[in-house]
Amino acid sequence: MKSFGTYISKHLASFAAFLLILVIVNIILFGVTFYHTVSEDYGESSPRAMLEMTSAAVTTESLPDNAVQKLRQYNIWAVYLTPTGECFWTLDVPEEVPQNYNIQDVALFSKGYLEDYPVFVWNTDEGLLVLGYPKNSYMKLTSNYYSIEAIQKIPLYVTGMFGMDVLCLFLAYYFSKRRIIQNTEPIVEAIETLADGKPASLHIDGELSEIAGSVNKASQIISRQNEARANWISGVSHDIRTPLSMIMGYAGRITADESAGERVREQAEIVRKQSVKIKELVQDLNLVSQLEYEMQPLHKEQIRLSKLIRSYAAELLNSGISDAYTIEIEIAPEAENAMLECDARLISRAINNLVQNSIKHNPQGCKILLSLKHTEETLTLTVADNGVGLTPEKLQELEEKPHYMESTDERLDLRHGLGLLLVRQIVEAHGGSMKIDSVSNQGCQTTLSFRVSQT
Amino acid sequence: MDNSFLHRKKLLLVDDEPDLLKMVTDILKDAGFETVLTAASVKEAVMVAKREKPDLMILDVMLPDGDGFSLMKQLRTFTDVPVIFLTAKDEATDKLAGLGLGADDYISKPFMPQELLLRVYAVLRRTYKEDSPLVVLDGCTIDFSRAEVNKGGEVIPLTAKEHTLLETLARNEGKIVTVDALCEALWGDNPFGYENSLNAHVRRIREKIETDPSRPVSLITIKGLGYKLNTRK
Repeated sequence: MKSFGTYISKHLASFAAFLLILVIVNIILFGVTFYHTVSEDYGESSPRAMLEMTSAAVTTESLPDNAVQKLRQYNIWAVYLTPTGECFWTLDVPEEVPQNYNIQDVALFSKGYLEDYPVFVWNTDEGLLVLGYPKNSYMKLTSNYYSIEAIQKIPLYVTGMFGMDVLCLFLAYYFSKRRIIQNTEPIVEAIETLADGKPASLHIDGELSEIAGSVNKASQIISRQNEARANWISGVSHDIRTPLSMIMGYAGRITADESAGERVREQAEIVRKQSVKIKELVQDLNLVSQLEYEMQPLHKEQIRLSKLIRSYAAELLNSGISDAYTIEIEIAPEAENAMLECDARLISRAINNLVQNSIKHNPQGCKILLSLKHTEETLTLTVADNGVGLTPEKLQELEEKPHYMESTDERLDLRHGLGLLLVRQIVEAHGGSMKIDSVSNQGCQTTLSFRVSQT
Repeated sequence: MDNSFLHRKKLLLVDDEPDLLKMVTDILKDAGFETVLTAASVKEAVMVAKREKPDLMILDVMLPDGDGFSLMKQLRTFTDVPVIFLTAKDEATDKLAGLGLGADDYISKPFMPQELLLRVYAVLRRTYKEDSPLVVLDGCTIDFSRAEVNKGGEVIPLTAKEHTLLETLARNEGKIVTVDALCEALWGDNPFGYENSLNAHVRRIREKIETDPSRPVSLITIKGLGYKLNTRK
């Protein structure tokens, strides 16, 4: 999500840079276009230059030849007026232009036009010099006055406008960024869910609905594949069961058959033991894959965990485990009536896997303690033994390395089987957490914590 | 508890796998069962069940002409015979369906021969009580039909609760029965906080059945779990 924000910011920064470049290009284009006109406006033929040139040369009698030539070159006519409005002389004056002026005429044309000719005036000691340019060569502003207040406001206006522009740009940036993130957030979330290999479903309208369609399609493909994989595993484990029943059954019968030879019976016992291992693997494998792909519906009920633990322990003892193992139960008084909404079969399976692990790793025998504690909001179930325990390296490996079910590399060693992975999955399916503590040669302890609502 | 009185019960196995039928038949016959009938399909099973009236049926869930659950529905129309399901499906997914229909137990493949026998005996014992309701303990005999204990010629009556408690333990003879299961047997489904009453009942029973109630040998406490009744073989 954050990366997306940065992405948008970067794009906006480049957009701002683009705007700046555009302004610069405009200025350059302006310069190129108006260079000629500007140079003319302020060049030799400009009214100001002409007036200066003419006024320097003028006399009340006439205009020197070189000045006359200059004026004619640009089709400019001229009049030199006395202070009373009479003409000292005229030069190329069109017919419609009068020879005498009163004060009102002067006031009018000095600001603008004389019979549509743009005229420019220059005050000399003797009189008023008037230059008339051809029609439509210049436009004069006849009302060119500004209040001082307005002029004084210009710097404030410019900075204000600039600030306003920046603010508008920023707001546009901020809101478009927020809108984009709002629109894309569900998409990004859905893609992240997909990245975890879980199905996602996305419903959005508008321009992005096409993306939603693609995400949903990808999700369907993933869940179809997950389903196919889980079904495949379930099918294989199903088909193994009947033949395995017979291997186990007959191996068991040979082991118990007193008419068979000692060696044969020993070998049959090995077959039986190994087939029990396959049985455990098959059972765990199916459940692990069902949980992994969330295809196992949880049959959750309010369960008294204390009762479940006792019932499990009684069943274990009744099934006749070796005397080398002692099973102890320790249920804290406040945990006795604690209820947990859970799937009793799965929780039993988790406890069993932990106990079986203790038995498996301690063939010389050990003490196994099942305990239950209840604090404010947590129900803690612990399975501990006083056996060989785990070395710190092994413990770290258990916690850090991905299990082969979840691993895609070729490291398909079966060192820890599926038992612990299944426990973890069951605990997670109940929103709990699992922690393994172990001191080498002092035993191993697995703690399962579940959050409970206070009743 | 002696199971030999159950060996006269007629069993019917239904499975479409001939090798498995043979193996389970062998296991049951070796254990002492006299009559083990087999059927390989729903049709055959219904026919044999009507003709032979078995005392217990072991059904595979997957059959060539239907599934075990629908077979069980058909059976229920004419008999109340106890049913154990045998299935290759995972217990966690299928068990409820079987028990919901009123199956008595459920064994998932692969299974150990011993496990199968235990379940068969347990269901049979639950369904068909022993003809002679006498349980012999170390130092006394319990007669459940008369709710009496005979200790060295002295006849001591049992209260209803003591009777239920002892019967529950005797049915699971030699096995641990949790306090929860005992409380449930005595007080029903919601037996909260009855542990103290249970202890009191156990104490009174010990006075009736044990030679030395302070050092019990028949009704044993399993610390933290429950109780166990040891009978004399």
